[in-house]
Amino acid sequence: MVLEMQEGRIKVKIKGLWACSLLVLGALAFAGHMPAQSGNADKITVLNPAAASKMAKRAPLCPRLSSLEGKTLYLVDINWGGPDAAYSVYEEMKDWFAKNIPSLKVVIKRKRGPYSQDDPELWKEIAQNGHAAMVGISG
Amino acid sequence: MSRHARALEQLNIPTVAGAGSNIVAYATGYDFLYSNGMPIRYVGFPFPVAGQPKEVHHRYVFEGTDQVSGKAIMQAIIDALTRPLAEKEKISGDPPEAKPEPRLLPPDTEENLQRLFKEKDWTDYLPITLPTEARVAAMLKGTSRKPDEIVKTINWPGGARPLTVEKAAVCAVMAGARPEYFPLLLALANEVPFGNSTTSMANMILVNGPVRNQLKMNSGGNAMGPHNEVNATVGRTFTLLSKTVGGLHANVTTWSSLGSNLQYNNLCIAENEEELPEGWDPFHVQMGHKRTDSVVSVGTGWSYISSVGEVQRSYAAQLLIRDYMRALSGQGGATIVMDPTVAALLKDTQGFKTKTELSQWLAQNVEKTVASFFGNGVIATFAGSLALQGLEPYATWMKAPPETLIKPFNVKNINVVVVGGKIQTTWFVTDFRLGRGVLIDSWR
Repeated sequence: MVLEMQEGRIKVKIKGLWACSLLVLGALAFAGHMPAQSGNADKITVLNPAAASKMAKRAPLCPRLSSLEGKTLYLVDINWGGPDAAYSVYEEMKDWFAKNIPSLKVVIKRKRGPYSQDDPELWKEIAQNGHAAMVGISG
Repeated sequence: MSRHARALEQLNIPTVAGAGSNIVAYATGYDFLYSNGMPIRYVGFPFPVAGQPKEVHHRYVFEGTDQVSGKAIMQAIIDALTRPLAEKEKISGDPPEAKPEPRLLPPDTEENLQRLFKEKDWTDYLPITLPTEARVAAMLKGTSRKPDEIVKTINWPGGARPLTVEKAAVCAVMAGARPEYFPLLLALANEVPFGNSTTSMANMILVNGPVRNQLKMNSGGNAMGPHNEVNATVGRTFTLLSKTVGGLHANVTTWSSLGSNLQYNNLCIAENEEELPEGWDPFHVQMGHKRTDSVVSVGTGWSYISSVGEVQRSYAAQLLIRDYMRALSGQGGATIVMDPTVAALLKDTQGFKTKTELSQWLAQNVEKTVASFFGNGVIATFAGSLALQGLEPYATWMKAPPETLIKPFNVKNINVVVVGGKIQTTWFVTDFRLGRGVLIDSWR
């Protein structure tokens, strides 16, 4: 069998009966690589490896502030990435707030312990002395 | 971090969390739905934050944009604290019922099912053995435990998914394991899922005791290579369990920056207990188990460094091990994996009568500079925060001049494991920290 381009179309010349046989064999081989058809005899049943996940109980956010004017904002470094990561960004943020919302008091704090460790004492301090908070910054 | 924000919100403090966009996607997606339950407001900081000079931090704040909303970052922070709540942010109470996972998948052709398992990310993208009912039933014959018994509930990273004996059997079949391996696999299932960290963690699986020889595990020549069915399929089962029941999927619940090729097999090895020098106890005996116990231990770590060549008379093995251990972070610990010939040299020519004596020598002699120690991000994050809290020895180390030499490894966390075929006097230093181990026989 020979494929030739002729006036934009493919012209097929079949040379001899042996080529026809090859064509048939080729088609069969190609069929063997096609996805199996939908006959039930070819279908199998398998077990599902996945397990269902339980969703978490929902909790709402607390109401937002009307503005940050005259408020106290805590910037809490959770210690992700070491002592020169979030803390350094927070210093820049404090500068930005001083220029843009001068009535806002900004307090930078490092949380106790590694980033996943709770710090109830700090949360209590913020609840007593602050109006809003940012926690971060994880990468 | 979402938990810290949640704690503050519950004290009536409007809070915004800042993170890289990958963490934001995780926190507002999977973590919100299956773990935290509160729709924390996040801003996506430009990345990276750690390691950047001050002028870059200045630019992030004064010129940067929120990677989530596209707004100026400072405006996004103000909005998160002042924009009134949407109705969906006020929802409380019980969540909808979890979508059940049917025990059986709809019947389909083998080819389509192989494709489905890949589309669901239930495989390691190598062909699996499909878990037909007959194959899973045969696997379950490897234990006396009931199929619906819960081996453990996997709650990391949230979701409380029950890992049952039958689910373990499904993954064992998928990995190509045999029913006689199943008690070992059930013991191993107690340690699922694999290490999951942006830092590209990995795991090591170590088997000790009579089960090694009963199953014909390879603890000799080429034990760490792809040359043994048990080592290969046990290690692979750990990965498949972690991805299926463990629910660990790239960019959904795992965010390793590079990932680790070790997660294909998890360095699954057995200790060559028969070739231990006299006085050197098998690892599980060091951990308090009986010599006749069969135990599987899993360690978490990152790094794996080869000695490359054989031991030289001019520079004893412990000296080069010491040198190479300086490259490890010092976080957690170290496991030295050595050929029996190295162990014999260390005992016979260097006088280390036990593994513990070698561990003690290494703890005393592996030194790093303070600058190098805290120069590692994981150390800076964990030991650094403890130092700032005033905890010793980290507080003193952090205050010391940068070139001060410290000894960061604790003798209790330096393990020695003997593996290999006595073909060359080679060894690996790794930073895997092995756990005490799980008894296998109780899972028969």
